[in-house]
Amino acid sequence: MAYMAYKKSSGDKLAALKACLTRVAEDRDREAFAQLFDHYAPLIRAYSLAREPGADLVADELVQEVLSRVWLKADKYNERLANLNTWIFTLARNCRIDYLRRNSRYVTEIDPTDIFNEIEDEGPGPFQQVQQTRAEESIRTGLKQLPREQAEILTKVYLEGKSHQQASDELKLPLGTVKSRVRLALKKLEVLIER
Amino acid sequence: MAAYSAGSLPLSQALCISTHLEHCPECVRKLQRLNRVGSELMQQLKPAPASSELRDKLFARLDSLTEDSAEKVDQETGSSVPKCLQQFVRDGYDKLRWKRVSADIQSAELCRDSNGARVELLKIRPGGSAITHTHLGDEYTVILEGGFSDESGLYGEGDFLFRNNRDEHTPVATQHRECLCLAVTEGPIQFTGLFSRLLNPFVRRNFAL
Repeated sequence: MAYMAYKKSSGDKLAALKACLTRVAEDRDREAFAQLFDHYAPLIRAYSLAREPGADLVADELVQEVLSRVWLKADKYNERLANLNTWIFTLARNCRIDYLRRNSRYVTEIDPTDIFNEIEDEGPGPFQQVQQTRAEESIRTGLKQLPREQAEILTKVYLEGKSHQQASDELKLPLGTVKSRVRLALKKLEVLIER
Repeated sequence: MAAYSAGSLPLSQALCISTHLEHCPECVRKLQRLNRVGSELMQQLKPAPASSELRDKLFARLDSLTEDSAEKVDQETGSSVPKCLQQFVRDGYDKLRWKRVSADIQSAELCRDSNGARVELLKIRPGGSAITHTHLGDEYTVILEGGFSDESGLYGEGDFLFRNNRDEHTPVATQHRECLCLAVTEGPIQFTGLFSRLLNPFVRRNFAL
């Protein structure tokens, strides 16, 4: 798997992108929106292609869908709920769910829009806020230190959109092993805090 | 929860999780951390360059974009129905088409998922009990109002329960009020009592409808 090395300046880059989003929200600034496009469109396409290799049209459609929402909802972005990258990820995920639902052979009446709407965490205390920020930071560093087989499973689940069952079929591993690797990986990243 | 964050969970199960999230700030924070995992993984992907045609096409349609369904969600309805269930329960629980399942239980089907799972609301009268049963498939339950207990404990508002086909249980609603739950079942339930076993063929047939 070809991972791109992290740039040292990824924090600065994110701050610059956030400034662009603010300009889009406040001034409907197209120049700023173009910068967001240049950074995120290739990532969104990569995300889509991870699930459906070769499906360039689907990937382009996802880019249009996600960035249209960014344009429309720029003023709704709440930094306290998620950093910008995470916000884009959740938008891309939601658009993908929506796309799959519309194009599924099996219909369902369930509208995902209401399900995956951001849920406001009503007033986390300052302590929890700090704890949360720290936990999220350790995810970034932790990912790089994960054993390869655990990182592989997370990629399958998150990027390729595979269910645990599908991942188990593809990797020819028992379902229990897949589940325990996901669990172990998330525990290592301190996403799951055992009480 | 990881599958929910990754977006690979069947929507019926996702519905249960988001109902639970509306009650549980702790799980909301856990979800935020899980989303962060997804976002970091996405940043590590090798970017797939976007064509300038795509960019032009998007820019050309920016002006014609309008807020569609996103807006309606923000309206405060003042309803006690969880937000994610309002798509099925528009005018309150009373207006649903309730069907009697037993002396103690009524049910109202909300929808079916693409995997065939049945999504329904169950109403158990105060102190009422369900017949002892196991499940042929998995069952997910979120308590919306009131509470109930079974062999493994006492559950209250917002609690999320998962039962699979190895679990046999007899839920009993708490005495002081009616218990309302969201239930997602992926296969018909199986009664295990000596006489209620005779009902199994009918339950199965009902599920197949």
